[in-house]
Amino acid sequence: MEHQSTLSTTQDEVDKAHYIQEQSHRATYITVFLILGVLTFFEVFIPEIYAADYSSITKMLLLCVLAFGKAALVALYFMHLKYESPWLRWIGYTPIYMGFAVIIIMLETVYR
Amino acid sequence: MSTVQAASAEHGDQEDLVEDLAHFGKATGGKIAMWMFIAQDGMSFGGLLFAYGVLRASAESWPIPSDILGIPLTALATFLLICSSLSMVFAVLAAQERNQAALVRWLGVTIMGGVTFLGIQAYEYTHLVHIGIGFAESSWQGEPINNLFGTTFYAVTGFHGLHVFSGVIYLCCVLRGAMAGKYTQGGHSYSPVELVGLFWHFVDLVWILVFTFIYLL
Repeated sequence: MEHQSTLSTTQDEVDKAHYIQEQSHRATYITVFLILGVLTFFEVFIPEIYAADYSSITKMLLLCVLAFGKAALVALYFMHLKYESPWLRWIGYTPIYMGFAVIIIMLETVYR
Repeated sequence: MSTVQAASAEHGDQEDLVEDLAHFGKATGGKIAMWMFIAQDGMSFGGLLFAYGVLRASAESWPIPSDILGIPLTALATFLLICSSLSMVFAVLAAQERNQAALVRWLGVTIMGGVTFLGIQAYEYTHLVHIGIGFAESSWQGEPINNLFGTTFYAVTGFHGLHVFSGVIYLCCVLRGAMAGKYTQGGHSYSPVELVGLFWHFVDLVWILVFTFIYLL
């Protein structure tokens, strides 16, 4: 009887923990979605703002920071990378160095 | 083993389960394989974007992309992909909650998002070819422009479009299983939904970068 009671309590705790976690994730997903939507909206106006200065370094930096910030949000929250074990995270981070190479190449145009 | 010890062992298992839930469960073989594929595919896209950067930086002239490409329409397509990513995470949650109806609904919404994105891309390609931006030769307002503009544009966005197309087919296969109730049986039965979700989010993530580097910069 005592055993059954213990199991029932722990199962309730598991269900409760699961429920709280799911609700918390749902709120996180919606928040991330709204941030991505708002950033995309503002991103579109950046080329127009810097239309007169095609190779402006500010424009390039702004767009790169926004793009990588948005990509990081998708990877960390939608792809759950934030919650994965460190070794699995490292697999996901592997292609990042290519991104840095692209930024360097783009910045090169400014100083050409 | 006494009853108390058995109960204690069960309690320990439950604690492990709570801890596992807090970390989205331990990684399955499928998940590790999908992440390795994503990392490799990410490097393929990285290579393409890198090549684009090199070609553009070394070109004598390069048109301003935002003058030629339709930014508002592509921004809408970007937002659509972001929306489909949200519906995808809801599909995974529905599978974890063993809610078959919600799973089928959210997968359907995600597929619709992907198909609409492909439709917009097809319209964009048709329009660009019509105004003179070809894969091998390009002209803008009657004047020839650097041919590499069209070549790199179609190569990068086309490669991504193929990923969206494969993603839609992959999602349709998962939807079929979801309709048969395969992924709402508890335990790790939701795993295939999580895997297709990882691929779909990756496609969204890559597009965010492609949109910036090809269209906005």
